[in-house]
Amino acid sequence: MDELTREFLIESQEGLDRMERCLTELEERPQDAGLLGDIFRSVHTIKGTTGFLGFKRLEKLAHAGENLLGLLRDGKLHATQGIITGLLQLLDGLRSILKTIEAEGSEGDGEDSALIVHLEQLQDATTAVAQTAHTAVAASGQSAVSAPAEPPPAPVAPVASAAPAPVPAASVPSAAEPAPPDPTVQTEAEKPRPQAIASAAESSLRVDVTLLNRMMNLVGELVLTRNQVLQATANDPNMTMLSRRLDMVTADLRENVMKARMQPVSNIFSKMPRIVRDLSQVLGRKVRLQVEGQDTELDKSLLEAIKDPLTHAVRNSLDHGIEPPEVRVAAGKDAEGTLKLRASHEGSHVIIEVSDDGAGIAVEKVRAKAIERGVITQERAALLGERELLQLIFLPGFSTAAAVTNVSGRGVGMDVVRTNVEKIGGKVEVDSRTGKGTTLRLRIPLTLAIIPALIVRTLEQSFALPQGSLSELVHIPPEQANASIEWIEGVALYRLRGKLLPLVFLDRMLTPNGKHREADERDNFIAVLDADGRQFGLVVDGLADPEEIVVKPLSAVLKDIGLYSGATVLGNGDLALILDPGSIALKSGVTMSAREEEAAVTSGEEVTDELKGLEYLLVETAGRRAAVPLADVLRIEQLPLSRIEYIGYRPVINFNGQLLPVEDSGGVLQAAEGKPEAQVIVVVCRDASRHVGIAVSQVLDVASGADLFEAGTTQRTGGVTLLKEHVTGVVDLGNVPPLPADEHQTADWNRIAETLA
Amino acid sequence: MSTATVTHAKENGTSALVEVCSVRLEKTWFGVPISHILEIVGGARPQPVPLAPGYVGGLVHYRGDVLTTVSLRHLLNMPPKDGPQDIIVLESKGGCFGLLVDAVGEVLTLSAVDFEQNPSTLDARRRALLAGAYKLKDKLLVMLDPERLDPIRLSSAQPS
Repeated sequence: MDELTREFLIESQEGLDRMERCLTELEERPQDAGLLGDIFRSVHTIKGTTGFLGFKRLEKLAHAGENLLGLLRDGKLHATQGIITGLLQLLDGLRSILKTIEAEGSEGDGEDSALIVHLEQLQDATTAVAQTAHTAVAASGQSAVSAPAEPPPAPVAPVASAAPAPVPAASVPSAAEPAPPDPTVQTEAEKPRPQAIASAAESSLRVDVTLLNRMMNLVGELVLTRNQVLQATANDPNMTMLSRRLDMVTADLRENVMKARMQPVSNIFSKMPRIVRDLSQVLGRKVRLQVEGQDTELDKSLLEAIKDPLTHAVRNSLDHGIEPPEVRVAAGKDAEGTLKLRASHEGSHVIIEVSDDGAGIAVEKVRAKAIERGVITQERAALLGERELLQLIFLPGFSTAAAVTNVSGRGVGMDVVRTNVEKIGGKVEVDSRTGKGTTLRLRIPLTLAIIPALIVRTLEQSFALPQGSLSELVHIPPEQANASIEWIEGVALYRLRGKLLPLVFLDRMLTPNGKHREADERDNFIAVLDADGRQFGLVVDGLADPEEIVVKPLSAVLKDIGLYSGATVLGNGDLALILDPGSIALKSGVTMSAREEEAAVTSGEEVTDELKGLEYLLVETAGRRAAVPLADVLRIEQLPLSRIEYIGYRPVINFNGQLLPVEDSGGVLQAAEGKPEAQVIVVVCRDASRHVGIAVSQVLDVASGADLFEAGTTQRTGGVTLLKEHVTGVVDLGNVPPLPADEHQTADWNRIAETLA
Repeated sequence: MSTATVTHAKENGTSALVEVCSVRLEKTWFGVPISHILEIVGGARPQPVPLAPGYVGGLVHYRGDVLTTVSLRHLLNMPPKDGPQDIIVLESKGGCFGLLVDAVGEVLTLSAVDFEQNPSTLDARRRALLAGAYKLKDKLLVMLDPERLDPIRLSSAQPS
């Protein structure tokens, strides 16, 4: 294919994408002249270029479309539902021809005359009406729209939202008189947009993705070299400044190359209106689509990877979430359901939410279905809370069509959604309230190529464990090994906070026939991993530093082993294989149900206790004990006191430009004052959408709390919990005041709730 | 000298000259056609890959990529060697891979007329790896076929 045709294909695809977006918008604002102009231009450009390139079939079809669009643009025709459907068909027709050209280099010999005739009919059917309307309108000196002839589907509300003009009540009489001048108003309102697009086009240029990939690889190389230089020059004072500089430049460069690969999520969000429109017509649902955070950017390859899962989630929401209008009305809801797509940043992740206000997932039915399908035992099911039950919809067993309709929750291929998202290192969460709706949350890492990993040692070799699946580390020295590691028929288990955690010894797994040192002859480090919802402990001989590693693909032969997801070069120049926790779990037979069963082996009482109470991180602040809900804890940082800086007298930590407010009601920082080398421990927590640090003097343990009741009542007390037999105050993160946009009150210091014991 | 070479080539008429890199394994010399060689890396210590098929000699860092190596010793049923080995980076249809040898010798210019196919008495396993031999003055230089050494081919040929 020659360069010209390729260019044409890319341009036309972009034009058609824009046309699709405009068409779905047009449905809401059928009189928007700006939109019509945009659509017309897209088709016109295609027609013009095709004539030049000699694609006759494409030209004919585009020409038929252009005629219809011309009438629309000139206001001789009104965009009705029928016309929009026709235009969407035109879009599909053009797309399929372009696809054929791309694949075969020629247009193929498909037949479009039916579609062309249909488009012509659309012109004719309405020209008559439009002309009468047109004359009527022309008489009153207005050029545009034919409100009386075509009862527009729902022009009133959208118009009201676009231009402040007509009060809804007034729209009925206004139908008799020529439409108020809002078309012009809108034209003006819409005008700045095309201009903005044009200027954006001038300051940007097209770059081949392979070139970007190559750049990314090179930057990865540079990151490796930097790591090596940093390690090599660590002890050389002359080189320190230089290597620092190299470090910074590399970080900057990496960030910018990554930015170059970023694309706004609107690239996939923009496909959704069409899907929602088509599906809601097929399914007989009324759905309003709300989109937020369209500018949120994500690596191109990741964006591609989540396209399918996201489409799946949207389909599910329409199919199983949002009820038919009559059901909704009967339930006292608005007949029109709302589907919300939301994208936002959170740390090094992008969160994409698909939420609907539909029926939600009937948890009880999930439970019943799970028992029926033998996924979990009846006893176990009875113990599961709502959250755990909801997780079950991600099991492959729930993905068959029958299960879905019976369960009436969503389940079609939810396992596929999860697998796809986890493949790129993301996570899927689901939240649902019966009758209120369901929210599906996809947590996607910002980039694929460079990931944080923990380097572990086994068999005298280094291996990399992706931090994403690592939840905690446990060290068992040789003398404690016999007491801590328990065995059931050759299967090693560790009691992690009362729950039995199956252990996998990495050395035994990697050299099944080799000789192994027993657990009591060496240090055991248990990396507690969470892969696809399976939890297990991977036992390694030693731990090295966490490192940002550049993922290098493995050759097919080694990929087939299944345990490694890639390899990387470490700072010291060594190669390390990247372990794939999911495959290790699979290979060693750790499954979800196995875990459930093992958990059920422990005494029932313990299990219920575990499920009842929240888990807390027990910390000590200046001699007092306090509890932080474990679910809110992001990480624990140990850093020199010099890292703490002050805004006014509020302590903050600067993480690459992100300020973390530090709560120091325990006076830990004050106590360390004057000793800049002193190390302080800061527990970094999530509070709603922000992060908050809590300065503590010591992290003691993790334990599950029990409820406390005020004597003589059944009223649960707030702010305290029973931890390890002690009544312990729970830190209220919400009380930490946000950092002031401009310096105002800081007097309202909140304390870490006091220990009552 | 040069005139002698020219007349020699003329005499053979159709025969072309082939450049071959010789590699050593214990005391045996093998030849690799130079057209397939990307680079020679000396003194490498490949990182072993647990659970990999036996013919995989490990991984090495090569120009920003991680290169899978094939152990020629393993393929020819020789005991593994400790210490650094030389690597010939070869290009094949499936991508690049490294061939681990004891040492790399020199580049020889050979004439195609001296080439002979594998003898029919060679066992099947070796026949799958060797491409034939060049008759040198004092010895035979057994040729390796890079395509057949490609780990992907090996994995389908011998179920490790």
